[in-house]
Amino acid sequence: MTGALLVIIQIAGRRCALGALEVKSVIEIGTITPVPRAPHWISGITALRSQTLTVIDCRRALGLSSEDWPTDHRAVAVADGGHAYALLVDSIEDITTAAGEVGQVPGGFGAEWSRIATGMIETLAGPALLLDLGALLAGPETLSREIETLV
Amino acid sequence: MDDLLADFIAETREMLEASSGELVAWEADPADRARLDAIFRFVHTVKGNCGFFDFPRLAALSHAAEDALSDCRAGRRDADGPLVTAVLAIIDRIAAMVDAIEAGEDFPEGGDEALIAGLDAANDSAAPETSRPDSSAPLHAPADTLLAATDDAAAPTRRADAAAAQRTIRLPVELLDRVMSGVSDMVLARNDLAHRLRQAGNQPTIDGPFERLTTILSDVRDAITRMRMQRIETLFGALPRLIRDLSAELGKQVMVDLDGGDVELDREMIETIRDPLTHILRNAIDHGIEAPAARLANGKREIGLIAIAARQSGNTISIVIADDGRGLDEERIAAKAIATGLVSAAERAQMSRDRVLNLIFEPGFSTAETVSNVSGRGVGLDVVRQNLERVGGSIKVTSVPGEGTTFSLQIPLTLSIIAGLTVETGGQRFAIPQSYVEEIVQASSSALDLSWLGESALVTFRGVRVPCLMLGEVLGLPGSETEARDPTLVMLRLASGDLFALAVEGIHNHGDLVVKPLAPAVMRSGLYAGSTLLDDGTPVLLLDVANIAAQAGLVSDTRARVLAAASDDSAAAEATPRAMLFTDFTGRRAAVRLELVQRIETAPVSAIDRTHATARVVIDGMILPLTGLPDGPLSGRRVRLLRLGDGTCDLLYAVREVEDAVELTAPLQPVPEDPLVEAVTLIDGAPVTLLDAHALFARYGEAPIAAKRTRCILPEGEWARTILAPLVASAGYEVLPESEGDTATIGPDAIRPDVIRIVFEDVYEVAEALGRELPGTVIRLRDQPDAPAGCATVYRYDREGLLAALAAASRGARAVSNASTGEAA
Repeated sequence: MTGALLVIIQIAGRRCALGALEVKSVIEIGTITPVPRAPHWISGITALRSQTLTVIDCRRALGLSSEDWPTDHRAVAVADGGHAYALLVDSIEDITTAAGEVGQVPGGFGAEWSRIATGMIETLAGPALLLDLGALLAGPETLSREIETLV
Repeated sequence: MDDLLADFIAETREMLEASSGELVAWEADPADRARLDAIFRFVHTVKGNCGFFDFPRLAALSHAAEDALSDCRAGRRDADGPLVTAVLAIIDRIAAMVDAIEAGEDFPEGGDEALIAGLDAANDSAAPETSRPDSSAPLHAPADTLLAATDDAAAPTRRADAAAAQRTIRLPVELLDRVMSGVSDMVLARNDLAHRLRQAGNQPTIDGPFERLTTILSDVRDAITRMRMQRIETLFGALPRLIRDLSAELGKQVMVDLDGGDVELDREMIETIRDPLTHILRNAIDHGIEAPAARLANGKREIGLIAIAARQSGNTISIVIADDGRGLDEERIAAKAIATGLVSAAERAQMSRDRVLNLIFEPGFSTAETVSNVSGRGVGLDVVRQNLERVGGSIKVTSVPGEGTTFSLQIPLTLSIIAGLTVETGGQRFAIPQSYVEEIVQASSSALDLSWLGESALVTFRGVRVPCLMLGEVLGLPGSETEARDPTLVMLRLASGDLFALAVEGIHNHGDLVVKPLAPAVMRSGLYAGSTLLDDGTPVLLLDVANIAAQAGLVSDTRARVLAAASDDSAAAEATPRAMLFTDFTGRRAAVRLELVQRIETAPVSAIDRTHATARVVIDGMILPLTGLPDGPLSGRRVRLLRLGDGTCDLLYAVREVEDAVELTAPLQPVPEDPLVEAVTLIDGAPVTLLDAHALFARYGEAPIAAKRTRCILPEGEWARTILAPLVASAGYEVLPESEGDTATIGPDAIRPDVIRIVFEDVYEVAEALGRELPGTVIRLRDQPDAPAGCATVYRYDREGLLAALAAASRGARAVSNASTGEAA
């Protein structure tokens, strides 16, 4: 993992990292069309050129409230399973290089964070939580199901 | 691996897939010349391509096969069973080698000579047993036994004709995607430009070239869409071989019936469903179809049948895979599900058979006791379902014990462009596929009557009560005044034939929608089929009409069954006459035979003209005679009218209240003293007067005044055909399509000026700018509801406005027509 490029973002006041290869671009968020009856962590859909992006509110996807932190006007565009997503985060900090391997911390990161984090990673900008994109996009509802299948 | 080699591998594999159906067919009938040619072409191409690469073994194999086949083609040799077996063994070996080349592995040495010798041995008519290639050649051993048991009628495949050779090249999908999205962007930019041009007013120098650009763009877009589409035949082509090999391996006899190969599907989608389809077939042959002896013992045909059919309906493709095997074992599935903790015993007791059966799609579920190399290899139906859901599809299973199992796959046509309608509710826009839209009606207008029964709403549409959903409510959007008070109803017709109404606040636009898939988390809500971009680039959601109806319980399976049962009974019940029951203005409960009732109309009292002996009223631009009115003045502002028709004449019968359609089961007592009454009968124990329609028509019936129907030319396109045309036709005009309109203006009809032409405003402006004045009376339609005062256009969804314009134009046209005939005389 050492030397890998990471995009450092702030989610709910915490520093997180996404592999730069997973990030397609950083976009200005335009109008978000809400999607009635979609899970609450999906803010809606937005258009990027002729592509539709599903807008994910990362705070809500973690099971946290989104009111406590201001949102950046920019979002991180990612793709997973052939679908494009825009991640709403507090802010996008930097692109930096991983300075070590992914590690764990004693005591874990807490239930919500452990579900979406691969582990801790040291970067040139300090330690950050390396995110598991698939788990993040799955949303908080899938939490219980994942545990059931593991048992 | 360089591109050339990748192309070689891809081409070889593609040809192999395309010709594998031919291989099976050829095996069944070695004398079939067309199949022989197809297989010859294949080995010939492989041999030729090998020249570019250093594959001596591949070249030697294909060369030997080509020699033998060319002897057959030249008539020097008969294509007999042993030869077919030997050639097929070589083709299998070629396929295996190609796989190894692609994987970058070395193919095990040896065995080639035996295969090539097999060709010669077959030529010497040596015993086939000894000439059969070594066991490394896959799966041909049981072929003879299979064929021996297969008579001509039950040949392993019923696929009729050979796929015609096409000129093709291979392209990277990303490139296609880029072109595709570029064209979509272009369409959006064009629409935006069109909007601005309209705002800027007439600009003849720009409008002409712009129209040309529009035409070119729609051609290009059409071609691009086709580029991504492929007949599902390419997928089906490989199946007979797959089924044949699997069944041979498992000692079963299976034939396959393929249907709907001409259904077109996105190329990528075909790749996505290849594995799921293969998996289901493997399961069907391994678990579903019984061994021949077992089948005979159960009174079935020895040969099992797998029927695969593809159908397109709207923007989904359904693929049905049905086998006639032993069916799914509900108890075993339930037991297994309980054992693995998927459901509890208590939950099981509550579950219907269908729900139990659908447990087979849950992760970690497999009933295969032994893991054969055919199925049960850890990749289960859960993965199949996942793969399908990933692309927005779904899978269902139904099964009858002892009779067979049916899997139905629903797959969306992604990246497709469909005609759609944009509606608004709760301040947000949504799109509806045009294919479902039957008609758009303002609830306040004549033909409808919105009423609430508990939480359900019903509208009366053309005399039929139709369930009505409030879109805002379905989507959980904040309640809207307009939607509840004065909704616009979109009448939607489902593929099953069920009709329902969707109440929305307003209609915005219609047009082509480039449908894009939505993320799975959004798809799970079951309300949306995809998303699309409006002209200004705003994304809107495309409603999944069928699913919304299903969720609201409008088309449950039970309902479908009830309907089916009812229609079965209808033949027997046909003899019972039916009538429309109503209360007339004297307070009398009366009825009129249902076949005479064309429609239930509502007319404002002010529209009734009572100056003559027979009252008349204008409905849809036609003056119709009216009876049944009370003598005194009418209270209320509107009056309900039954529109009766006998084929040539129409007449209206005013009623106080329409009740229901009833069956006339009780005996009819004639009433000779009243000429207008046919009989008195009992309905639900109460007496009801049955009107004598014959006498009614004799006294009041007259051909509608507008009987000389004014002809009306409509613009081209889906919207005009499905929405405008029925409206215009029901208003009593003769509808001519645009193309016929052209001949009408240049042909012998050109002298007839009494043609009304409805055009879109932009088309009109272009024609005007080009100096080509449109003949006849022209009604111009605009897309936007709002327009400056005194504007000569009519909003396209303003029903009343449109009818008024038609009526005015019709009067004008008739005056012109009369004047011209007058001059001629």
